[in-house]
Amino acid sequence: MSEPIIELRNVGVAFNAQLRMGAPQFWALEDVNLVLPRGARMGVVGRNGAGKSTLLRVIAGILAPDRGRVRREGVSCQLLSLALGFVPYLSGRDNAILSGLMLGLRRREIERRLPAILDFSELGDFFEQPVSSYSTGMFMRLGFSVAMQVEPDVLLIDEVLSVGDTEFQKKSGDALRERIHNGTTVVFVSHMDAPIKQVCDCAVWIEHGRSVMQGPVDEVLAAYHAAAPAVAEAAQ
Amino acid sequence: MRLHWLELILFSTYAELRAERARSYLGFLWWIIEPAMNMATYYLVFAVVLKTGQPDYVPFLLVGLTFWQWFKSGVSHGGLSIWQQLALIRQVKLPLQVFPSVQILADTVKFAFILALLLVILWAYGYKPNVTYLALIPVLLVELVFTAAVAYLVGAMMPFVPDLRFVIEQVLQVVMFLSGVVFSLDSMPPEMRRWFELNPIVELIDSARDILMYARWPDWFALGRVTLISLAFFALGAYLIQRYTPRYVKLPT
Repeated sequence: MSEPIIELRNVGVAFNAQLRMGAPQFWALEDVNLVLPRGARMGVVGRNGAGKSTLLRVIAGILAPDRGRVRREGVSCQLLSLALGFVPYLSGRDNAILSGLMLGLRRREIERRLPAILDFSELGDFFEQPVSSYSTGMFMRLGFSVAMQVEPDVLLIDEVLSVGDTEFQKKSGDALRERIHNGTTVVFVSHMDAPIKQVCDCAVWIEHGRSVMQGPVDEVLAAYHAAAPAVAEAAQ
Repeated sequence: MRLHWLELILFSTYAELRAERARSYLGFLWWIIEPAMNMATYYLVFAVVLKTGQPDYVPFLLVGLTFWQWFKSGVSHGGLSIWQQLALIRQVKLPLQVFPSVQILADTVKFAFILALLLVILWAYGYKPNVTYLALIPVLLVELVFTAAVAYLVGAMMPFVPDLRFVIEQVLQVVMFLSGVVFSLDSMPPEMRRWFELNPIVELIDSARDILMYARWPDWFALGRVTLISLAFFALGAYLIQRYTPRYVKLPT
């Protein structure tokens, strides 16, 4: 196995339930251990509310752990976020630049990629129109095309593998799978088995905010199903 | 600060202004019409109806309102900005000072239009440009830093106590009347006025009036003191935002 680039040791994260004084805390993550090797494609499995999305945001560095340790080997991590920071009254072009800047690209890098974004999103003349005039499908196409321009060391994906209408779903899914299989390190959260099997080579199983098991994807899925037959069946 | 974040701030400011322009029929004309209407209101009430009889009252009022509104809009917009972007900052890691900075810069662009209009009005009234105009540069810079400082401090607290947004406009209104914007503070006893002068806005507006109305250089010592206060608050505000960032991300939606 190649060198670990991110390591979580006994990580816990607590939230306040409400915005008032003395509100009770709840631990979304209790005790998570995880080693992410360079180039790994790791799936995160677990039931609804197990803490999968919280875990993803800890790995992204957005959430700081309240206990335990996170070790990160100077790598950039980015949550795949569609239409991040989009402003309705701005043109597709301006939104692409704005969103790209927020995702960590330099201005000239985005400018250089604008033709690719325009091409992939299939927006044509609408690229210069305000995004408030877009259909939902057009909006998602632009959002996806921009998000795909960011090339972090570790790509974090929460459920979304493709967007848009049937045709664009295939195109966006293909583009993302190509990115994933191109050696990028990936952490992928899903409550479904099929996409995890398709995308990942290893997996971690989270239950009630605790990491139960980490290993090859087949073994982890098998153990997960054996432990929670009813839930696991629904996922299949 | 990394150049990348500067690019983000500048482009966001452009985006903010552009989106605002697109949201109304008259577009950026409102940047002038709205404050002009506001000034006209104060002029009607205090100069025409109440006959505030001080000499030079109209230029006194206009200079005060121009410099006050810049501060006020920067603080109220910048103070809300982090709270308004909570959904975004759950998605991506950014230095959150970006958000109030964008609001303040956008308000500064709008202020530039109003300042130009003010200068034209003053010249029409017979207050000619003079060499002390040079001192406007430091005065404007210090006001920019002080506005950013207060916006950062309010912005740092707002996510924890969103109720503040109902209070902030009222507080600003009171501070305006205590800052000698509408009424001159000269009429109060000197020992009381000394306390009011601790308010940096009083000093900044006094300096602006000295320059624009009386061709006098500002009180450099007082301006220096305000500079130090502004820089200290600015650093504190930036630090607090930095320090509380991990907690903003966890606030309930």
